[in-house]
Amino acid sequence: MLKCGMSGSQVKVFGKAIQALSRISDELWLDPSEKGLALRSVNSCRSAYGCVLFSPVFFQQYQWSTSVKTNDSDTISNLNCKLGMKSILPIFRCLNSLERNVEKCKIFTRSDKCKVVIQFFCRHGIKRIHNVCFQESQPLQVIFEKNMCSNTLVIQPRVLAEAIVLFTSSQEEVTLAVTPLNVCIKSANEESMDLTNSVYSEMFVGPDEFDFFQIGVDTEITFCFKELKGMLTFSEATHAPIAIHFDFPGKPMALSIDDMLLEANFILATLADEPSRASSPQSLYLSQKRKRSELIDSNSEAGKNVTSKDAEYISRKAVPKRLYSETRTNISSLENCGSPLTERANGDISEVPESSVSDTEEVPGSSYLRKFSCMFFGAVSSDQREHFNHPFHSLATASDSEEDVNNGSFSTF
Amino acid sequence: MKFRAKLVDAACLNNFTRVSNMIAKLAKTCTLRISPDKLNFVLSDKVANGGVSMWCELEQENFFSEFQMEGVSAENNAIYLELTSENLSRALKTAQNARALKIKLTNKHFPCLTVSVDLLSVSSSSRVVTHDIPVKVIPRKLWKDLQEPTVPDADVSIYLPVLKTMKSIVEKMKNISNHLIIEANLNGELNLKIETELVCVTTHFKDLGNPPLGLPKLCWKNVVEVDILILFLILEEMLSAFHR
Repeated sequence: MLKCGMSGSQVKVFGKAIQALSRISDELWLDPSEKGLALRSVNSCRSAYGCVLFSPVFFQQYQWSTSVKTNDSDTISNLNCKLGMKSILPIFRCLNSLERNVEKCKIFTRSDKCKVVIQFFCRHGIKRIHNVCFQESQPLQVIFEKNMCSNTLVIQPRVLAEAIVLFTSSQEEVTLAVTPLNVCIKSANEESMDLTNSVYSEMFVGPDEFDFFQIGVDTEITFCFKELKGMLTFSEATHAPIAIHFDFPGKPMALSIDDMLLEANFILATLADEPSRASSPQSLYLSQKRKRSELIDSNSEAGKNVTSKDAEYISRKAVPKRLYSETRTNISSLENCGSPLTERANGDISEVPESSVSDTEEVPGSSYLRKFSCMFFGAVSSDQREHFNHPFHSLATASDSEEDVNNGSFSTF
Repeated sequence: MKFRAKLVDAACLNNFTRVSNMIAKLAKTCTLRISPDKLNFVLSDKVANGGVSMWCELEQENFFSEFQMEGVSAENNAIYLELTSENLSRALKTAQNARALKIKLTNKHFPCLTVSVDLLSVSSSSRVVTHDIPVKVIPRKLWKDLQEPTVPDADVSIYLPVLKTMKSIVEKMKNISNHLIIEANLNGELNLKIETELVCVTTHFKDLGNPPLGLPKLCWKNVVEVDILILFLILEEMLSAFHR
């Protein structure tokens, strides 16, 4: 089981990670492994995923032991720990005062009681203990080959912060347009927006403001602003530059921070363009029946509660989407999905199989539809073998962290 | 209709931003009147129970290094635009370290006030930020409601005490009562009074000057009752706009 300890200043960074992930969803997975402690979060419409992996070196002490199940497939059981953000966020609220007052913080789990215990040993002999119950649930994980993206930008958080100021909090989506000469961050033109009432802003940033600037293909991607802000506040705490990896519209983008002590990755879905560009591999169509069954098959051995939710999710949301372009979808009814992307993303969960562009179905009447691609998630499962025999190279598939290390071409988060 | 102006001085930009912030806090929408030598912000809140109406005039040459405008027609050489005040103040907020700020009236599918800022960033490469603020052009038949209000002849006119002091007093008083009584005379005396069933509080100010009115100096007082919250808000905004 998990047992780790950290100092006051480490608690601050840990708390900032939790706060950043809280912008993605209301649930947090605590996923320890020998690689370190990973905090994961996925939003309900599967269009944003965040993972912060703290390496064992980050902590003052880090112990993780597994209990090996004695069954045929020799599974290693993970700590399937899902916490509600509402329970854990208040514990890490006033980070500045935590940093000042906390001398040591210990986190350990008691899986027999499904509890995570967080102990703060503060100054003046004060000790604070929080017992947080967790739900047994297998964490989700995304595989995203960020090094294969044609465009990579590395930027200091300060520059992004200046760009963020431009946009109001009511602005939900932001477009990043790049050419080899410059980068433009601008308000996204949403079809459903009341254009006569909102300000359109744009900011051009020259290549010399970036620590690393590599643009392979001119592109414009649109993504949700809220998650970007979360990542930004976290990066300001770690003082590390942010790397942005992206490709064409529709393919997810990655925001990452890579440091010796931790690795943070936020994968966000981007708005897909029209299907007019048939030749380019932007196939993000949902071939619902076919893919849905694949989803289920490939996850048949994996954590059932997650998978069945996925399947339900797809079938439930698939239908009303087609009318998107004609009607202005009721934002209020979709808001409970926790993200504005849902109005487009509903049902468009795709595996993004690059090799199977030709197989995808043309979505009927889709000429004016703009869709988001969602990343497909699978439960973190130890039954990998059938997955990798699968004919598709999925952009994002279920995987278990241990098994994946052996399959060098994919990096896991 | 054309409008184009450029602002390069940091202090002018700062002042313009403060004025815009003040407007944004007082009302959601405001009217911007552009004429050859002035810029006016007009708020006319015709609320039944009293409300604030405001007329703010800026001499354009005190702010802008370049200013060109062409009104609706030669006889009516003015432009009246309605906009959401917060949009302008927010756009100006991003211009804090700007080298230059340009404002112009554009038509991008609908009329906009385009604010473009030339920022001097830390790494010394210039960054350009543009904001397109949607506006509505107010037709000429509605202009008569947006003219400079005539201030009625005053019986008493007095210079207020230091705004900061007055604001903090009004702030404390607003916790006790909703209405404030202002009494003033031509001897430079001003009283701020609140009266409730339980308590009556008066603050007396003496030796305030009186601007010349051309009236004989009589020792009678004038009494006016105002809504304290509105007064407080006005004082606060005036303070933030003009006080350094």
